[in-house]
Amino acid sequence: MSIEQLRNTTDILSFLDDDRQTRREMLSRLAATASVGVIGYLFSGKLTAVHGQAVDGDLGIMAAALYLEHEAIAAYQAGAESKLLSDGVLKVAVAFQRDHKFHRDGLIATIKQLGGEPLDAETKYSFGSLKSEKDILRLARELEKGAVDAYATLAANIKNKDVLNYGAQVLTDEVRHLTVLNSVLGMPNY
Amino acid sequence: MATKKRNKKETISRREMFQRGKSKPVGTPSQSGAGRKFEGDLAILNVALGLEHEAIAAYNAGAGSKLLTADQLKLAVSLLNDHIRHRDVLIKFIRRYKGTPVQPKSSYDFGAITSATDIVKLAHGLEKGAALAYLANAYKLESNEILSAAVPILVDEVRHTTVFAQLLGLPVTERLKV
Repeated sequence: MSIEQLRNTTDILSFLDDDRQTRREMLSRLAATASVGVIGYLFSGKLTAVHGQAVDGDLGIMAAALYLEHEAIAAYQAGAESKLLSDGVLKVAVAFQRDHKFHRDGLIATIKQLGGEPLDAETKYSFGSLKSEKDILRLARELEKGAVDAYATLAANIKNKDVLNYGAQVLTDEVRHLTVLNSVLGMPNY
Repeated sequence: MATKKRNKKETISRREMFQRGKSKPVGTPSQSGAGRKFEGDLAILNVALGLEHEAIAAYNAGAGSKLLTADQLKLAVSLLNDHIRHRDVLIKFIRRYKGTPVQPKSSYDFGAITSATDIVKLAHGLEKGAALAYLANAYKLESNEILSAAVPILVDEVRHTTVFAQLLGLPVTERLKV
């Protein structure tokens, strides 16, 4: 992906600030944007749509991954500030958020190293109604599942070996998070 | 305690094996340039296949021990099936790239297994070793289709490791690092 394309990506993502849009609508709009096919895939979850399409490049994948990391950090922050979490869950949430911050910082550094411009976090995220610890755990689980699916599917499209190595480490964290959240929610891990 | 010590030793041994494998191709790659290009992939796949054989043998030993509860057995069988699937995928790619898949050993020494906890500890040690091996090597793969096949295996190994860490009361907030 060229810098110009990345800038286009930034432009396309800018409408995410409009909180009147639901996330799904936003993702659908992204998915429909041919010039950022990878990003579209990441947010639409349409696996078959992307296979066979040319991949925009490592910077595109990392830009989308960074978006997911920003979102996860915000979600864990919302959970931690909700006062709804028990001590044990809060401790795990803080640890998982720390992992996501580590991912974010690594992605930002790598994007810059490759001459790209990292996207900032949104000023506001809409995570729906969070009224209980379970609501927060479900939200976290949903985001982690999305991240696992995205990284696992897109990893093989990454060209740069250093980026791929980093991506594998991030994926490993996301799988661990997802497995733990599944257990806590009584969902199957096998 | 003896089991823990042994597992640590085995993990190091596997890591060393991986490092050796990268520079010492196994199998019989074709003489074409394309064949040589993927010699490193073949080496990685064959080491991975050795780990899958070992895991399958360990789960079979656990399942056949009569020490597991019905729920534990269900878990073990499900994870065993994952490893059987991994094994078959690895063999398929090793053959496709003109390599020779390593065979399972005629026997494995898993130490004394006298309780369900022994089995869980053994499984955790093997799964963690496998997860670290895939994590350390998957990114080195040159073939896109082999990489695509390896990534979901890494995902499985990390999931398995985390499940056993939880069963053993081990911390799940620490990053798995090579």
